[in-house]
Amino acid sequence: MAYTFYPGCASEATGKASFISFEAVVKALDIDCHGEIPDWNCCGATLVANAIGDFAQQAIAARNLALAEKEGKDILVACSSCYLNLAWTNEKMKTDPDFKSQINEALGAGGLSYNASLQVRHLIDVLVNEIGLDKIRERTIKPLEGLKVACYSGCQTVRALRRPDFDDVEYPVMLDRLVEALGATAVPFPMAARCCGGSQQFTNPELIYDLTGKILDCAAENGADVIVTPCPMCALNTDAFQQKIAKLKNKEYNMPVLFVTQLMGVAFDLKPKDLALQYNIVSPYQKLAKYGVKK
Amino acid sequence: MTAANNQASRYDPAFANELYSIENGHYIKQCMQCGLCVVTCPARHLMDLQPRKYFKAIQAGDRDRVLKANTPWLCTSCNLCTVRCPRGIPIIDVMHGMKLYLAQKQGVKSAPGALFSKTFFDVMLKRGRQWEAWLTQMYFLKAGPSAIKDALKMMDVAQPMVLKRRLPLAPAKTIKGKSQLKKIYEKAAALAKEGH
Amino acid sequence: MTKKQAVYFCTGCGLGEALDIPALVKVAKSEFKIQDVKEHPFLCGPEGVALIKKDIEAGVNTVSIAACSERVCYDVFNFGPSIIVERIPLRERVAWVQEPGDEDTNMMAEDYVRMGLSRAKVTELPEPFLVENPSKTILVVGGGLAGMTAALEAAKAGYDVVLVEKEAQLGGWAGKVYKLPPLVEPFTDLAENNIPALAKAIEDNPRIKVYTGATMESIAGGPGVFNAKIKHGGGTAEEKVGAIVLATGARPYDPKKLTYLGYGKTNVVTHAEVEEMAKNGKLKEVKRVAFIQCAGSRDPEHLPYCSAACCVETLKQAVYLKEFNPDAQVYIFYKDIRATGKYEYFYKAVQQTGAVFIKTEIPGVQVLEDGGKLAVAGKDIILGEDVTIGDLDLVVLANGMQTNAAFGEEVVLEDAEAEAAAAKEEEAAVKLDQIIKSNMLNLVYRQGPEMPALKYGFPDSHFICFPYETRRTGIYAAGVVRATMQVPAAIEDATGAALKAIQCVEAVARGEAVHPRSGDISYPEFNMNRCTQCKRCTEECPFGAINEDEKANPLPERTRCRRCGTCMGACPERIISFKNYSVPMIGGMAKSIEVPEEEEEKPRILIFACENDAIPALDMAGIGRMKYSAWVRVIPLRCLGSLNLVWISDAMSSGIDGVMLLGCRHGEDYQCHFIKGSELAEIRLSKVSETLDRLGLESERCRFHQVSIMDYYRIPKLIEDFVAKIDELGPNPMKGF
Ligand code: SF4
Ligand code: SF4
Ligand code: SF4
Ligand code: SF4
Repeated sequence: MAYTFYPGCASEATGKASFISFEAVVKALDIDCHGEIPDWNCCGATLVANAIGDFAQQAIAARNLALAEKEGKDILVACSSCYLNLAWTNEKMKTDPDFKSQINEALGAGGLSYNASLQVRHLIDVLVNEIGLDKIRERTIKPLEGLKVACYSGCQTVRALRRPDFDDVEYPVMLDRLVEALGATAVPFPMAARCCGGSQQFTNPELIYDLTGKILDCAAENGADVIVTPCPMCALNTDAFQQKIAKLKNKEYNMPVLFVTQLMGVAFDLKPKDLALQYNIVSPYQKLAKYGVKK
Repeated sequence: MTAANNQASRYDPAFANELYSIENGHYIKQCMQCGLCVVTCPARHLMDLQPRKYFKAIQAGDRDRVLKANTPWLCTSCNLCTVRCPRGIPIIDVMHGMKLYLAQKQGVKSAPGALFSKTFFDVMLKRGRQWEAWLTQMYFLKAGPSAIKDALKMMDVAQPMVLKRRLPLAPAKTIKGKSQLKKIYEKAAALAKEGH
Repeated sequence: MTKKQAVYFCTGCGLGEALDIPALVKVAKSEFKIQDVKEHPFLCGPEGVALIKKDIEAGVNTVSIAACSERVCYDVFNFGPSIIVERIPLRERVAWVQEPGDEDTNMMAEDYVRMGLSRAKVTELPEPFLVENPSKTILVVGGGLAGMTAALEAAKAGYDVVLVEKEAQLGGWAGKVYKLPPLVEPFTDLAENNIPALAKAIEDNPRIKVYTGATMESIAGGPGVFNAKIKHGGGTAEEKVGAIVLATGARPYDPKKLTYLGYGKTNVVTHAEVEEMAKNGKLKEVKRVAFIQCAGSRDPEHLPYCSAACCVETLKQAVYLKEFNPDAQVYIFYKDIRATGKYEYFYKAVQQTGAVFIKTEIPGVQVLEDGGKLAVAGKDIILGEDVTIGDLDLVVLANGMQTNAAFGEEVVLEDAEAEAAAAKEEEAAVKLDQIIKSNMLNLVYRQGPEMPALKYGFPDSHFICFPYETRRTGIYAAGVVRATMQVPAAIEDATGAALKAIQCVEAVARGEAVHPRSGDISYPEFNMNRCTQCKRCTEECPFGAINEDEKANPLPERTRCRRCGTCMGACPERIISFKNYSVPMIGGMAKSIEVPEEEEEKPRILIFACENDAIPALDMAGIGRMKYSAWVRVIPLRCLGSLNLVWISDAMSSGIDGVMLLGCRHGEDYQCHFIKGSELAEIRLSKVSETLDRLGLESERCRFHQVSIMDYYRIPKLIEDFVAKIDELGPNPMKGF
């Protein structure tokens, strides 16, 4: 399978570590994913629809689909919010002929069109269902034995299509399997597909404190050493807000939050620069020291 | 209409119909008040009308309550209610429609979420991609003095992010197809307006 | 027939390890003098079955199989109608519930062998009771939607049908409506009224004979031999029929009783009136309408039950209003919208028309005059506020329904008063069936002219355990006469009833019982020269299968009989018996139990368990390898109603320490497969204390428990509790006498 990559805006800022480690893991596993969708644009995240409505946002997201179709390869997405917008728009293009013709009318204004020939795939889906756990196990050089991981898939990752997609919509397991293939232990984590508060950091910060706090509590209660997630928003809230929430709740978490590709990089024994751990706010070095990770 | 005078704004089919006609608004009609969305929503404790009651208020044409409610602005787009609603109401889409309606009706300054979303969209349309540091600044600038206070409260979060280079202050690339994107958006917006 | 007996012990399924088989063989050989006793490691396998068959060829005609429960492998161990098969359930009732290899376990197994063999010794092959020229024609009373459906279905299956309708035309209530609610996928669009099409199909069907403007003058006889007299056109027609479908429908609840919801005010109407308006095009001018749901229904002052159809009727009429006037605004005041099953889609579709649903308390809403129009005021309990909807052109009351079977005087049976007085003396007595003279069937039955009502006048049976069944054999109620229901349910109900009627006529032709002992050919025989005309059997038969002559001699109407044996349990003279089930037979089983001497400290407890639920529950406990006391011995009964008190007194005088009865739940929501059997048994048991007193025994030595099949997990506890009680009471002093 060949893919074109859709990095998403977070890859250039809050989710930089995701982007860097993703590229390294793709190489390590020899996934046929060379290059980004040329001149891709923002998918609209969870916010644009609020300002312009669903249809207009989906037209904007569809520009990416149209550009990718020219490349003729399915789209691989690592960010959950991007996945939601692209995959859902794609699903509607495939299943709703009226929607398709309307979107194409809008795309036409920019000289584009999309025939809905592509699949939009999430990174976890591709890793587990295409590349396969065997290959990942094989590639693991430093099994993460003894590392207890809370696998936080996030809400949009598994609910993009509003129906069971590559995983269960409420109790996802794919990320757990992936993490276990690396030799780590996935702890029970009932909050795996619960909301962290999303992009309400400025508009309703209490919500972030509350919801992200619950996720951190759940990970801690289940004895996790680290949280692993594919989603930049989940990572941002659980990592960057962790200190603040700890203070508010009068608690101590010390719970590093890693992108799944960062953790894979550790197990694959990739170079420190590929792990991009310097971007992490809660330091992961101590917990990862026994797997040979140094600053 | 003597008997009904004392409840002027309720059971007003005109208002209900107005909302049924916004984007995704027609779904509101089919809510059967089961309450599953309420037990589902992570933001329910902060909503002055939880989704079920919000939809009931719309069905009942209860203009005052609906226009005052913070409900849609608290939606985090987690999509859990949407996968659970037994009536198949895409609640997340309805919330988008409501937010657009409210922002248009009451102005983007009427709710922080409206302003933030609009700012996000403006930055995105101008550059083709998001630039978070810039977005944040723009938002607080527009939101005015009270929001600055909130922003200061967030410094403990922002500082390490800047330090760890997760909030780069230098702008990211803009895309080449900016004007193409704008054209697509404008056409889509026009189509959407026609559509309902 | 001269019996040639053989006994087979299976040593598979753990039996060989758990039990001392040679000791059991000895019981058969030395105590019962049976020479043909064999063991096999896998009796239900082809080799085991071949072994038995070979013996049968050599002349064996009575086969006792000491292996698994009679509830399993019955097909494997069926050797045709001329071979008696007795099952000795050593697996589920001994080996799997006791300690393997224990002395007490083997004593238990020996007793089961004794009980089985003593039964095999006396049981006889039943022969079917065949009536001459049984009729296979099906009489359908009531020509509405359900009746027409039943008639057509039966005719389609190849049976002749007589259809009787009291109106001049077929159609009933459904014939009068403008449209029907959705009947097919996706259950969102109204169906055209299909009654004319059904009427045409009936007219064109040569198998269906229709009497319109006709009523039932009388129905005598029983399944296969009903003699139906039909009053019609000033005369009487006679038809011989085999089974009956009762589909006489329901009527709307009398709106005059709904003045508290505004009935009587101008423009306050019922569902039926809206149907009329729709047919006459009068809905065009109607713009604003409110419906009030549960008008009378679910209200203890009126109809305590849900009428089941009125929610969907309202949804349907809401669609009418939009059809006639797209601007119409509909408000629906409801408690719950009960659009069950796929009507959920219809509900959703009606919501999409913009109808406003207001959840409220009914009664509790008020209908007011509003300047020449109407207003409805109540409380919106979701928004938590008072609401008044004014400017209404029409207020529609969803006035629910009442079964036609509920109209008429209650029947007071001739000597019911005397009986009631007598019953009082004997304290408890089974409540008499409520029979309402609705003039629908006019049965010539001792038990009264109509079907007994279960609740609220509906002639229903236990609706979960026995759908389509009733308490009069061969008469099946269908549609809204039986229970409130929506249109598709009535169609299904009618189809089911037609099928039941077909099963019934076929069973009668073969001399077999219908549900729940379907296929049974044994029937009760009366040794009349000792009958004292006490009337116990006629009164207690739950199915009204026993009539009386002028001298009060019981006259069994055999095809009505369901072979429960309740009459056998009732008869103080013990003159009622089946070929393969009788008072001496069961008594003999009880007496065959070996009662150890007092010093041995091995009490014995006898359990009489109903075959329908208690025995399966015991078997399930066995399959679950639950352990219970080794003191108990279980005898299955067809129904606890067949329990004869003499068994208890005999058991007690032979030294048994306690007797436990396990029967179905009775009373409200009864689950007794023969309706009253377990209740009767409990009443009889209450009278046994006299007997026990006479023997100087405590009445606590007898116990009754209601169990359902799902109570299997309780079985060990029930037994242990009773054992503890018996321990406390000490041994039966009659031991050894
Ligand atoms: S889950 Fe759906 S139907 Fe139920 S109350 Fe919420 S929106 Fe209404
Ligand atoms: S999508 Fe929005 S409204 Fe629905 S549960 Fe999530 S936060 Fe609540
Ligand atoms: S069907 Fe509906 S209106 Fe009729 S009694 Fe039942 S709940 Fe009430
Ligand atoms: S009591 Fe039972 S066995 Fe006896 S006549 Fe009635 S139905 Fe038949």
